[in-house]
Amino acid sequence: MISLLATMLQQDRPLMPYPPYTENVSILRQMSDALHMSLNRVLSLLIGVLPGILAFFVALAVFALIGKVISAFLRWILTLCKFDARMARAGTGADWTPSNSPTALTARITFWVFVLLGLVIGVSAFDTSYAVGSALSFSLLPYVTHSVGAILLLIGGTLVARFLARSVLIGAVNAQLQYARFLSLGVKWLVLVLTAAMALEHLDIGGSIVELAFGILFGGIVLTLALAVGLGSRQLVSRSLESHVERSDRAPEPPSPPTPPTETIRHF
Amino acid sequence: MASADSISELSSPSPPPVTGLLVIVPAMLPENLEVLLNNLAVVFPGEGLLVATESPAPALVPAGLRIVAAPPWGSGWSLTAADFLHAWGLAQEHQARAILLLGPGADSLGAGALRLLANGVLAGSVDLAVPRYVLPPHAGMINSAILYPLTRALFATRVRFPAAIDLGLSPRMPQQLAAAAQRTAGDPEAMLWPVNEAAVAGFAIEEFDVGARALPQPADADINPILARVTGSLFADIEMKAAYWQRARRVPPARRAPAEAPRVDGAADVTRMVESFHFAYSNLLEIWSLVLPPYSLLGLKHLSQMSALEFRMPDSLWARIVYDFLVAYRLRTINRGHLLGALIPLYLGWVAGHINLTVAGTSAEAHIEAVAAAFEADKPYLVSRWRWPDRFNA
Repeated sequence: MISLLATMLQQDRPLMPYPPYTENVSILRQMSDALHMSLNRVLSLLIGVLPGILAFFVALAVFALIGKVISAFLRWILTLCKFDARMARAGTGADWTPSNSPTALTARITFWVFVLLGLVIGVSAFDTSYAVGSALSFSLLPYVTHSVGAILLLIGGTLVARFLARSVLIGAVNAQLQYARFLSLGVKWLVLVLTAAMALEHLDIGGSIVELAFGILFGGIVLTLALAVGLGSRQLVSRSLESHVERSDRAPEPPSPPTPPTETIRHF
Repeated sequence: MASADSISELSSPSPPPVTGLLVIVPAMLPENLEVLLNNLAVVFPGEGLLVATESPAPALVPAGLRIVAAPPWGSGWSLTAADFLHAWGLAQEHQARAILLLGPGADSLGAGALRLLANGVLAGSVDLAVPRYVLPPHAGMINSAILYPLTRALFATRVRFPAAIDLGLSPRMPQQLAAAAQRTAGDPEAMLWPVNEAAVAGFAIEEFDVGARALPQPADADINPILARVTGSLFADIEMKAAYWQRARRVPPARRAPAEAPRVDGAADVTRMVESFHFAYSNLLEIWSLVLPPYSLLGLKHLSQMSALEFRMPDSLWARIVYDFLVAYRLRTINRGHLLGALIPLYLGWVAGHINLTVAGTSAEAHIEAVAAAFEADKPYLVSRWRWPDRFNA
């Protein structure tokens, strides 16, 4: 048996002398041709887009470099002019102060403006190159530009959410509100949800589902906060109302026994 | 004995004579103004004293006093940039040799106090005469906790009330203060720190015991805006004068301590302040940890476990906290409004500890001096953090 198998394997000709199926060859060839054409198309697309991608990165790198240089120059000039001291004397920034000095802030803003400019010019170059190099249409490009706006929205929203959350937390703690942390969290998430909805809207993702979900979430958070504050202050409100009703209805009560005087603390 | 100079007579276009002492008085009730004028007449008989006030002159002005009209000013509980500009304008207009700037409620100052403040500057040996008030117990807490210790440690002066509202000024002192006021032109209500200005300018400062005085209080008793305004202003001034105070300077030796005000029966509401601190500890720890190093946070943790009766904030811990907040103010670690808001519960904790100590028998003044000494001892820490803040973040 083994020798028979070995003999069969050594044979050049097929074991079964079936007649050749000529159409089989044409299908394979057609598949191969189709694959080659597809590969060629994708490669030519990539080759067409590649200059655009390269232009995008070059524009970004060049503008980032220019931004770095100009920002360093600005920082040097402003430090020489004692810009921080002048701003402090002018009294600006008393209500809202960034986490850096005005000089550092100006330099940083300049740098990021240049980076943004590079991004816009890069995307524009990519767009031009792509439009020339290909006849295909797909919807990636609008997202590249829209995503920049969405990212900025997210960053701004997160900063505002953090600022407001801290303001509410500190104010509520100093006012001795027992639900201070809850209130702060509520405000933070309100702003974050609003920001997320705006970013998704900007990216054209979700459509009416986002609006609906945002409405439900926002309304839910507001209702939760209102309930929490209302329930938390229930006793306070009822005491206030009771004292008001009692004052108007009841006869004046006899004077209470004298309590020891409390020293007043004068902070200033 | 009495004359009735009218304001219209005094505002004639002829060049003003050189005035010895110019007393600037804010608006006050006629009866209070009368008391003050009588005190001045007793102290400076026949010296041709010039009094500038926006209040209408009383019918009977004591002899030797001249009243001139002054625009509205100084109606608040602290002296502002606008007040000093106003004083400088009046001093120039009347070519005064010395100025006595009095705050609201100055009629409660005794005649001797007025003489002490004026004589120093009239003699020419002092540029800034500052009063040392005797206040009721548990009054002027921000001054005792923050203003006095910081001013003493950084500007090497023992002036007990750096934010005093009655000042004696030599002719060059209003000029210095007006220059400082012009730097804050954006906010005429900004507070100025005359002691700091005088120290930086190298002017002579002298403190005089003036006894008890009724200090005007802010209309809104809420501590939040008061602490934020006063502390924020002092922090900003310290930031501006960093080149001066970073040098080591010897604080002048202590003077004889003035008699303390008699104690009042009854206890202050310490429990509420301690509860406020505990509540803040459970909520603001995240924000405090952005400003304070682990050592201070550990100290606060120990404090959070103390009951109201045993609550004491160690002097060294309080000094570190204030210094760390000052550095965070400079570095803008967090928003400055948030920073000063986060300081309030810590300050209330200090006040609670201070009251507990005084109730236990410690002299209030002795404790305040100990706190100031702790600030002095820890000044190298502030200087190091100021110069190399990142070294402490590792």
